[in-house]
Amino acid sequence: MAHIESRPAPREDAGQASAEDGVVMLDGPDGVAVTMTADAAVQTADSLLAAAEMARRQLAASATGIDDR
Amino acid sequence: MLTENVLRNRTADPSEAERALLESAVSHTQTYSAEQVVVRQGIPVEISTLLIKGLMTRHVDAPDGRRHLVALHVPGDFVDLHAYALKRLDHDVAALTDVTVAIFPHASLEKIQESDTRLTRRLWFLTLLDAAMHRQWIYRLASLNATQRVAHFLCETNARLFAIGASDGRTFSLPMTQADIGEVCSLTNVHVNRVLRELREAQLCNLRASRVEILDLRGLVAKAMFDPQYLYLNPALAARSSAQ
Repeated sequence: MAHIESRPAPREDAGQASAEDGVVMLDGPDGVAVTMTADAAVQTADSLLAAAEMARRQLAASATGIDDR
Repeated sequence: MLTENVLRNRTADPSEAERALLESAVSHTQTYSAEQVVVRQGIPVEISTLLIKGLMTRHVDAPDGRRHLVALHVPGDFVDLHAYALKRLDHDVAALTDVTVAIFPHASLEKIQESDTRLTRRLWFLTLLDAAMHRQWIYRLASLNATQRVAHFLCETNARLFAIGASDGRTFSLPMTQADIGEVCSLTNVHVNRVLRELREAQLCNLRASRVEILDLRGLVAKAMFDPQYLYLNPALAARSSAQ
């Protein structure tokens, strides 16, 4: 029987944020379903951007063999 | 008959004689008002409770005070049969609506255990059915998105109520607030509200005034990725509850 690997792996699809009744909802990827205040959403967005930038640098560093943590 | 809905339309439906024996183990019935806690976590118990009328919940209170609803019970469910073996619960049991319950002293259940192995096996089946639903609730929260979670819960509730004749397979009474559904699906009120609107706009189902009307059962089942196997319904009912 075909079996889809179920171990959590990094998602390549993005979550979708939307606003309703003065709060922000983040849906996906996968089973993510969270409601945040606008301030919490902005802080989460900032944190995600910073982490994404760091992750890209880490990938670039591992490709060149230079440790840039 | 107080026990008419116990395992009704399941793969382990009791015989009339078994139902009569189970009925004879009831000491009395009792009513509780909505939101009343019926069994408290950690308190020694010598009785088990069968839900006759209304809806009940199991919930766990987190150390930070938040309540987590971990099970919903419909008539015919033993809400704490596991207390027969465990002798205290690791969760609270509460009335979600006004309820009527039948009380089974553990001494009476012990007599059944000693005298009727088939009925004992069916009671064991009930607690295993509980475990199957808990597994599915974990899957729902871990793997499904907000819309799928609510759709899955509505499909499950429809199937369970269909089994006891409280749904016609498409419409049923669901006296739960959006906050209650949010607790089941781990979503905020506003999230539940949006999901219900999406399901309505997609012509899948309508929840209005505590009444669920499934407009497109096949579509709702597909949206929820709902497979009723874990409910151990009789095959005909399982097929109808998943629009097969």
